[in-house]
Amino acid sequence: MSKKSADAIVIGGGIIGAATGYYLAKRGLKVFILERKFPCAGSTGRCIGGIRAQFTHDLTIRVMLKSIKMFQELHEELGTDVEWYAGGYLFLAFDEARKKSFEQAIEIQRRYGLKVDFISADDCGRIVPGLNREGLLGGAWCPTDGQANPFKVTYGYLEGVKRLNGQVFVNADVKKINLSGTRVVSVETANGDEFFSPIVLNAAGPWASEIGKLAGIEIPVKPDRHEALVTEAIERCLEPMLVDYRADGCYFVQHYGTGHFIGCYTPVPIVPGDSVDASDEFITEMPRRMVRLLPKLASVKVLRHWAGSYEMSPDGNPICGKTPVEGFYVSAGMSGHGFMFGPALGELMAELITTGESSIDLSEFRLDREWSKAEAMK
Amino acid sequence: MSSKKRSGFRVVCRCEEVTEDEVRAVIRNGYHSLEEIKRILRTGMGHCGGRGCLKVIARLIEEETGIPIALQKFPSSRPPLKPIPLGQLGSYRNEQEER
Repeated sequence: MSKKSADAIVIGGGIIGAATGYYLAKRGLKVFILERKFPCAGSTGRCIGGIRAQFTHDLTIRVMLKSIKMFQELHEELGTDVEWYAGGYLFLAFDEARKKSFEQAIEIQRRYGLKVDFISADDCGRIVPGLNREGLLGGAWCPTDGQANPFKVTYGYLEGVKRLNGQVFVNADVKKINLSGTRVVSVETANGDEFFSPIVLNAAGPWASEIGKLAGIEIPVKPDRHEALVTEAIERCLEPMLVDYRADGCYFVQHYGTGHFIGCYTPVPIVPGDSVDASDEFITEMPRRMVRLLPKLASVKVLRHWAGSYEMSPDGNPICGKTPVEGFYVSAGMSGHGFMFGPALGELMAELITTGESSIDLSEFRLDREWSKAEAMK
Repeated sequence: MSSKKRSGFRVVCRCEEVTEDEVRAVIRNGYHSLEEIKRILRTGMGHCGGRGCLKVIARLIEEETGIPIALQKFPSSRPPLKPIPLGQLGSYRNEQEER
């Protein structure tokens, strides 16, 4: 048992905790990151690494434009190659309703200067050689979207935290948050250590609701299970992330750094809970969907299959900002996009925590909002 | 050159081509679990699913940190146990539907 003090404590060693911790440390704060298991043990280490600005919520688009700019410079910033690659994102439309919703989204996205077009099925085929165009009406194409390696990014940020006088604690399972009146004072872990700080950030992802309760705060984040698979590495033959939004669709990308294909789908109906058990259904269904879209992948071998949690907020948008407990902040409810939001929300939350405001106003993501403005491109 | 001096060049993960030196460097940088080393060096993420390397790395962790192998947590084994082509897995589904 020990007692230690910091300027800021971050609960959670995924992308949100690591990035926010890094930008807080960069602003001169002594940062402790408390991770229940080990970095990337939760959602970040299970995500497939896609990065896009093609959203429909104005604030999300602005956050992602900032994040993409930061991903471009992250190698230099962190001194580690995070395998950022602008291969683009191609969202496929197989029916008129989907086509229309993409066209509406493009109208919003262009207001913020995003280079995005609805392209013909033939043009989709030019971007993705070998694409099965049966029934395809076209696609929403943004060449500046891309991918990076979630492990490299997260561990890169954590190494940065250590360089900037911070500490990363693994196996630090937060069990208690102590308040003095309405102000946060310290947190205690399962092994009896107590960490003191006037600032505590809840970046616990799928478990943000449980951490919130320790401070008496209701945070409406609920995990649901998503599964993913990775194939062997082959020669590059797919540039963008390919997204098929049909009920039996899927999305996958070829990893730039290694050549593996990595992908997943959203189950219908969703599977609530934080279970990360892999299902027999996925390991047969996902390959069928991938091969249907890109028949040339039939001979590529599957190496691994796993599951992870999306940490959903009621409207599919992040929950970022202060809480009724003074000094206790939240950045969670990323709803499947935490990795791509990480750099921008990390820096913006660090600004908010240290100065009281951020260079992009995050108030639409505040905890006490109306949950009405749902994200259409989930 | 003595075998001891050359030992660091030994490849401990053949799938991802990771050497003993690289593993020891990561352990010395404070990463004391198979799970963390897997995420940093990709050991266990290749074709063999960790069957070839994880025990060797567990021994290196024991040597470097004193944490006995018996107390180390091994990463979950992930299906399929052997690499299987997408087309083969996908056609299983199609056959089920036709029945």
